Amino acid sequence: MVEAEEGRGDGGGGRTVFLFEHFREGMRAEDLLVRSGFHTHSGAPPPHVRTGCDLAVSVPTEEMADAEKMLGEGGIAVWDVILRFGGDLPELQLSYLTKVVDYGEYVMVRVGNMKLTYRKETGVVVNVSGGGCPDIPLLAVEMVGSRLDEATSPAQLGFTLCAYTLQKAYEVALKRWRGGGTS
Amino acid sequence: VLLLLSGTLPMSSGAVAVGRVRFDRDGMRVGELEIPRRMLSIGATAMMAAALKTTEALGTEPPVSVVAGDLGQGDGSRAVYRYLTEDAGGLGPSTLTLHYILPLRNEFLAFVEMLDYWAKRPFMIADAGALLIAKATRVCERFDLFTPDAGEMAFLADPDAGHPAYVKAALFEVDTTEVPGLIAQAYAGKNSPRYLLVKGPTDYVVDGGTIVGTVSQPNIPALEPIGGTGDTITGIVSALIAGGLDPVKASLAASRANRLAGELCAPTPATRVFEIVEQIGRALEVVLDGR
Repeated sequence: MVEAEEGRGDGGGGRTVFLFEHFREGMRAEDLLVRSGFHTHSGAPPPHVRTGCDLAVSVPTEEMADAEKMLGEGGIAVWDVILRFGGDLPELQLSYLTKVVDYGEYVMVRVGNMKLTYRKETGVVVNVSGGGCPDIPLLAVEMVGSRLDEATSPAQLGFTLCAYTLQKAYEVALKRWRGGGTS
Repeated sequence: VLLLLSGTLPMSSGAVAVGRVRFDRDGMRVGELEIPRRMLSIGATAMMAAALKTTEALGTEPPVSVVAGDLGQGDGSRAVYRYLTEDAGGLGPSTLTLHYILPLRNEFLAFVEMLDYWAKRPFMIADAGALLIAKATRVCERFDLFTPDAGEMAFLADPDAGHPAYVKAALFEVDTTEVPGLIAQAYAGKNSPRYLLVKGPTDYVVDGGTIVGTVSQPNIPALEPIGGTGDTITGIVSALIAGGLDPVKASLAASRANRLAGELCAPTPATRVFEIVEQIGRALEVVLDGR
């Protein structure tokens, strides 16, 4: 268990932070706990345990035992726990990190460090670029040459924050292509 | 060994493979490991192919690679980190490049710590996942060269970001127009090695926080969407440095050769990176002609 920090807020007990080995487990945990009514925050783990490609989920410390039980029942492995964490988890910024570039016949959607380019007329993915995690080259192999609405989505195969970022670019591209390039 | 390249492959086997890189129309081999042509993609395969083309142009020995299949769960990444930590020192590489790999804090730091015990410290280059974990663990200054794009430069400039997806929106907005400012912030925060080759519409070559060269021609906007063009530049500069060029000259030459190789393809946003790889030899002939 990671060394505890001084508690703050949330009924005086601070918040308890759950850490996960893979980004995807963090996403699943957040989804399960939110749907189950827990008061979650999610974001980057504290710097001393951060790998960069990760997502931590916190709950008020008084909800910790129930949350941990819920995660166990959901088959989500908790890698480590920080008790009475007093800081903030920096939130993902992806909704602010989106750009679209029109190349005439093609459109490139960039979200954070990931880029996805498709042909306007057909919706076929012609290139995937960026990232640094191991699942990205496979996603490039699987997605390039497929039409957006038929392509393997990063959410299906990806495990990492780079893949999650590519998923956001994919969603923007799909919505834009379905909308005729205007949305 | 002059040049040791490391990274993961889009394959399911987590076992590490070590050996000379070979590449032809059927695919790529690392030692006895066969990588089928259809799996050649962005990432380590593009980087290794570009490095091999560069050593062929220079007439130097081909690179040796340490690779393992990894689909994102970290098994192959762990195997690569373990090999680097326990065995790679015995190869005595003069240059070592770390590339696509899952950021794993403990495994990565164990390797960085072990470097102090190597008989000869290699010139250390990082890009992709290795760059991310070096920043997240605050050991950027243990490296010699990073090859970030503008988005990764914004990430290095943001002292609080552990991944480009956590970069402050204000830095993301400026990343293509104010790269010199981002470089200054990264150095001020000790989140940069001595040398940087920043890839973008204008490439910046940086030594000790000072921009010592820029390359912006030929200007080919269609290269930006092409996945792998950053990986090829990393491969080229790695081989040039291993071949004896000083890091600044190597960075400038790599930048020019990558652009020229792209131009020789008459690229569109649908061009594939391995079409560009095939032009690297010709491009280097032109770029290195006057060295």
